[in-house]
Amino acid sequence: MQKIVCWLKSFNEWLAIAAGALLLGSVLVTLFDIIARRFGMSMGGTDELSGYAMAISTSWGISYTLTCMAHVRIDLLRARRASKGRAMFDIIAAVALAGTALVVAYRAWPVLARTIKFGSTANTTLETPLWIPQSLWMMGWMWFSASALIIATASLLAFFSGRFEQVNSIAGVGGER
Amino acid sequence: MILFTSAGLLMLLSLSIPVGIVLFLLAFGIDIFFSPFPLMRGLGQVVWSSSNSGTLIAIPFFVLLGEILVRSGIARRTYSALEAWVSWLPGGLIHANIATATLFSATSGSSVATAATVASVAMPQAEKLGYDPRLFSGAIAAGGTLGIMIPPSINLIVYGFLTETSIPQLFLAGLVPGLLLALLFMCVTVIMCMIKPSLGGPGVNADWNRRLKSLIDLVPLLTLFGVIVGTIYAGWATPTEAAAVGVAMAFVIAATHKSLSREMLLASLKGTVRTSAMIMLVVIGAYVLNFVLTAAGVSRALQMFLQNLGLGALATLMVIILIYIVLGFFIETLSLMVATIPIVVPIIVELGYDKVWFGILMIILVEMALITPPVGLNLYVVQGARKSGSFSDVMVGVIPYALAMLVMVGLLIIFPMIALYLPTHL
Repeated sequence: MQKIVCWLKSFNEWLAIAAGALLLGSVLVTLFDIIARRFGMSMGGTDELSGYAMAISTSWGISYTLTCMAHVRIDLLRARRASKGRAMFDIIAAVALAGTALVVAYRAWPVLARTIKFGSTANTTLETPLWIPQSLWMMGWMWFSASALIIATASLLAFFSGRFEQVNSIAGVGGER
Repeated sequence: MILFTSAGLLMLLSLSIPVGIVLFLLAFGIDIFFSPFPLMRGLGQVVWSSSNSGTLIAIPFFVLLGEILVRSGIARRTYSALEAWVSWLPGGLIHANIATATLFSATSGSSVATAATVASVAMPQAEKLGYDPRLFSGAIAAGGTLGIMIPPSINLIVYGFLTETSIPQLFLAGLVPGLLLALLFMCVTVIMCMIKPSLGGPGVNADWNRRLKSLIDLVPLLTLFGVIVGTIYAGWATPTEAAAVGVAMAFVIAATHKSLSREMLLASLKGTVRTSAMIMLVVIGAYVLNFVLTAAGVSRALQMFLQNLGLGALATLMVIILIYIVLGFFIETLSLMVATIPIVVPIIVELGYDKVWFGILMIILVEMALITPPVGLNLYVVQGARKSGSFSDVMVGVIPYALAMLVMVGLLIIFPMIALYLPTHL
């Protein structure tokens, strides 16, 4: 299990670089649009593309934030406990997160299903077939729930075999920057 | 219903469940117990439309800008330029801390990053020159908070997005209060150091020659700030476009400092994704909660409740401010903002206050949350940059500046024009 968590961490790191590259690409498109507009040949649709880039990089990026343990938690009570108590807080947080991620991923499907059923395109000049950005977005949330399930399972296993320090290192609170 | 929401919020938060998830869970709970029709069927659509946003992408852009600047090595040069200009004042280098924080925050948009950068540059100086560690580190922690007030500000983008307020207007409104607050911090330092000179330390001996030469090191950041803010105010660029231009300029700055490398780029991208995904989970959660609160009528119930209390507008505002100060001890900035916006802002509008003005007031209050223990991120960041000394040094040192923030809150209430002059006259 420990191996899987290690693999998950490094895989999510690659995903983060990909999501970052997508953002960087979006910076370039925006810059190009600003320059092109000066010469009166704006292609339009930059705002729309940025929106998709944002939705996709967010849904894939939250998994990396998860494995960095960088999602904000108020650990006022948690910090006062010894490692066993902390591990219990971490388990509660990990399970709540995995449950929520599953619900969102489950509810994301109807959005995509409706798009596919009606063959919806964006109401813009680009007429983007919406299934493309939406399926990438939904897969991001599915990966987030998969990551969260792995983290929750690994920390539960560690907890029941009494390795509380390990729970802290899988699902604890990451350092600031 | 109100009791359920606020008690649930505090209980789930204290269980140390991630803040974004807490907001989702609350939304689920309200849906199950109070809503006459199932709202969660629309959950996917709400999540999609909240993150599919060409406005919000300004957040990762500004985070990326900050990540590049922090790694570009420009902070050290900026600090040494500013110490030549301001360290003759009583309090010496402490003013350089505040000034660097002000200038850096004017470009980076994040408080924690600002405090971390200034602390890493300034702290070694304090130890070398024998400054009182308390006031010195307090000034960095407090100066760092200016990052969310002086435009561009990520927190103002989030506020504008969640309350449907114009982001350029908010940026205009934040400029004067931000600068005024920096000035107040410097006044506080001068007064403290006049009363007790041992708090300060020697400044650097700078003649006009050195000062003028050092100006060239301020050019990159000032240009960056001028371009970002200027193009937004002039209406030439949206905040997103200005942020993209800012990213390009940050790359140029890093390249001229010869700090651009593959490792640096990868680290910046990873840092950007980590921070902005962290912000976005909270923002999406708040958006979902916002949707549920409105649909289930909680916001209306809360307004009725307040009206029935029979307090006047000002008294209600005072109660709200007091709640923010108390919550600020325990909850950090962004979480405090987004968790309360759906509940508080409708009340404020109902009372007849201006949304732009309240945005600025709220920013000062959450700035205080950044430096009030036990949960005050900037305190920990500054403490982390120190080699020795106890945490309570930073806590004590920040008190005068926290008081200055309270003064600023008072000023904003008495003279709303401090915030509203620029947006109404430009």
